[in-house]
Amino acid sequence: MPNLANLADLAHVHLLVNHFPTIGTILGLGLLLMSLVRKSDHIKKVGFEVIFLIALLTLPVYVSGQAAAEALKGQPGVAAAAIVAHNDAALGSFIMMEITGFFAWLALWRMRRIGRPTNGLTYTVLVLSVLTVAAVARASNIGGDIRHPEIEGGQYSGLFGVGAPSAPFLSAAAIKDFVLQHPFVWPTCETLHFIGMSLMFGVLMIVNLRLVGFLRGMSFASVHRLLPFGLMGFGINFITGMFFFIAASEQYTQNVAFHYKMILLELAGINYLVLTVYDEAWSLPASADAPLSGKLLGASALVLSVGVMYFGRMLPFIGNAF
Amino acid sequence: MLASLDQSAFSQWLLGSNSIWAYPTVLTLHTFGMMVLVGAALMIDLRLLGFGRAIPLGSMRRLFGVMWGAFWLNLVTGTMLFIADATKRATQPLFIVKLALVALGVVTIVMIKRSLFDGPAEPVVIDGPARRLAIISLLVWCAAVTSGRLLAYVG
Repeated sequence: MPNLANLADLAHVHLLVNHFPTIGTILGLGLLLMSLVRKSDHIKKVGFEVIFLIALLTLPVYVSGQAAAEALKGQPGVAAAAIVAHNDAALGSFIMMEITGFFAWLALWRMRRIGRPTNGLTYTVLVLSVLTVAAVARASNIGGDIRHPEIEGGQYSGLFGVGAPSAPFLSAAAIKDFVLQHPFVWPTCETLHFIGMSLMFGVLMIVNLRLVGFLRGMSFASVHRLLPFGLMGFGINFITGMFFFIAASEQYTQNVAFHYKMILLELAGINYLVLTVYDEAWSLPASADAPLSGKLLGASALVLSVGVMYFGRMLPFIGNAF
Repeated sequence: MLASLDQSAFSQWLLGSNSIWAYPTVLTLHTFGMMVLVGAALMIDLRLLGFGRAIPLGSMRRLFGVMWGAFWLNLVTGTMLFIADATKRATQPLFIVKLALVALGVVTIVMIKRSLFDGPAEPVVIDGPARRLAIISLLVWCAAVTSGRLLAYVG
């Protein structure tokens, strides 16, 4: 299979997308605040959607950052300590971002079910996104210290001091050591990854076969109830997948199967968001056929999720992962 | 017998061929079948445990056909994978455990179908024994996936 991108391309991708989490979370937070001032549920929904989409986009930001680090390795004028510090800060902020994105999704799901946003989830997402903005801004700032000669030395010493800040809250190197030094961790994560996949696909299969028209007799609203289980399966796979990626990133950054898997995963994530908030499907009675847009949505969700599984399973065969 | 399977032309092709259509594709189809079979089983179990109560039980009946399709796909691809590595697998205790767990999983699904889906139409009462059966089914399928996945790591 021809390569999609080399390390330099991926480093470029990182530069193209790495400001989205900071700016996007600020935008989402701004929309949530505006929705409170204007008392508009519609703006609130848009705010949750923006935060969910930014959480989704943060995945390629993080994994392309790993490729950028590999591309920069050993080059002159690069502060190696700043790369490590940036990676650790990025990992922490990435986790914060995903937790915030999860609650934004939960708020959207609840909102779709009961017809209005709940205060508890709104304020949870609000507080989490403030913390996320702080975490991603700090990560970006340390990232800026890696190689920007125009601000190096002299009067500028970095917002968080020169080079590495004090002991990181979360260390990617420590996670890597944990996975590689304990022989049980990798197989355990693989097992959980397959169980999470089955759970996720079970939900996707029911919801989308219904939309396509194969499982008539269930209303869409009744299968909508299962969506959190799909996200639970995704959560298991996200965590275990990150263990693989952090422990052996060089197997994935240049693996074309991994690139395709990430692209399909992003599209599947957008698809899941549409499924969650989709009005035409929500009002679909048990025996009725979905409109064409619904059928296309369901069919694309099935193709995308099988595609994600295909490229995941093919990581060692098309690419070089074990 | 097992050794002759290992040495068979089929086994040589499946393992020795560099083609993406040999071992990688058979393994991927096996994974696909697992995901469909276990995914559908977990959904039925969750429904019996009270999640998605608004889904009419009868409308889930079609999933049994889906599960049988996935089961046969995996029986075929699983047999192919077994032939490729017959001596090792036949003497591997974990492999026997996996087969037993899959058989047990199928039994739980058949029992669920007999007790709740083959009787009169709605409303079906999901009583204590049905719920216990759902919990057992859920655990057995997770254990079956675990034992299958660990085959790649345990000697």
